[in-house]
Amino acid sequence: MQTNERGVNDVGGLPGGPVNREEHPETLFEKRVDALVMLLTHPQIGAFKVDALRRAVEMNSPGDYTTLGYYPKWIRAIRRLLVEQSVLSDAEIDARIGKLRERLAKDV
Amino acid sequence: MSEAPFRYSPGDVVRVRTGPPEPHCRTPFYLRGQIGVIAGIAGRYRDPSLMAFHKPGLPERALYRVEFRHHDIWQTEAGPDRIMADLYEHWLDPATRETPDAP
Amino acid sequence: MPHDHDHDDHAPIEDAGAGEDELLEIAIRELLIEKGVLTAAQVNGQIDAMDSRTPALGAQVIARAWCDADFRAGLIAAPLQTIQATFGMNMSTPLELVILENTPQVHNVVVCTLCSCYPRMLLGIPPAWYKATAYRSRVVVEPRAVLDEFGLTLPPEVEVRVSDSTADLRYLVVPMRPGGTEGWPEDRLAALVSRDSMIGTAVPSVP
Repeated sequence: MQTNERGVNDVGGLPGGPVNREEHPETLFEKRVDALVMLLTHPQIGAFKVDALRRAVEMNSPGDYTTLGYYPKWIRAIRRLLVEQSVLSDAEIDARIGKLRERLAKDV
Repeated sequence: MSEAPFRYSPGDVVRVRTGPPEPHCRTPFYLRGQIGVIAGIAGRYRDPSLMAFHKPGLPERALYRVEFRHHDIWQTEAGPDRIMADLYEHWLDPATRETPDAP
Repeated sequence: MPHDHDHDDHAPIEDAGAGEDELLEIAIRELLIEKGVLTAAQVNGQIDAMDSRTPALGAQVIARAWCDADFRAGLIAAPLQTIQATFGMNMSTPLELVILENTPQVHNVVVCTLCSCYPRMLLGIPPAWYKATAYRSRVVVEPRAVLDEFGLTLPPEVEVRVSDSTADLRYLVVPMRPGGTEGWPEDRLAALVSRDSMIGTAVPSVP
């Protein structure tokens, strides 16, 4: 029996509210995430294809897909792909985040 | 590797398959089962649903620009508005359109 | 604006309010640099490269198309090559650019309902609304209502043609040249071409 499923990203035709046209210049965080996407998917580095990144974004729950910001979704997808491809491990990423928090606490 | 010919030509009427969608499907839900017309041949591209899982995505798939009548998709009054999408050959079947194009 | 991203790998975290995702980005970037997957210079270079892609580039292309029929013909036939040859911009990309010409009969609008595909090689990073679900979900159903929200109302006899970028093609709308601009130099014409008019949610007008 064929099922007619749609991914969380497949939003064409779903109800939606008014378009929020507010804009801000990209923050440094946003530019860095964008840079990581472009570099990691470029053939020169080729950690993974952009299709894999999109697929990772599509693995969010419907709730997360709607509430998480655009760039947070991408950096989390990058994390998932890097671990999937054994470039980094979850343990070392978490350890580094821990160290960054310590650094942050000291700097304040 | 010899290339298969393109199955469709501009002007051909096609129906979009209803499924089942592969992981990382690039055929939007709102177009599935809809009838459209081939507006152009976009070329051959690696399969995104395979590349999404780190595979090479070969053999390349034929890609078409397909034009749909807005009122066919949303069941509204006939009008001039159109929707175009880029769809892969393996999601399209030949079809006929009973009603003539809106003027 | 100073190059505030040119600092070493272990500089103090600039934003004391850094949230989860900011920390994740820093952690990933630092680890990738340490492992030699990429360099800080590459990251900075990529940021600079995207900073240099702006709607002003697209506006130049549109203005040239308005003034030069041969350029317009080349642009339609082979968009990336023509832009690269004419403006000396590096347009190397595995993607295809397709030109959508607005006419008195057809008004084009571009969307990516599935994600956020956009002609970044020319226009840079898309606006937040283009990437958000409201535009993506609604413009294929009720394009005229969405365009009304952008302040653009089209006559009922004009075809509104929405192109959904579902694959490797990227779309650039060439809006119609407004009347009353005869003889204008290209840079004055380019100033009329907004980013939104190259997406299709606006049309150029003489102020």
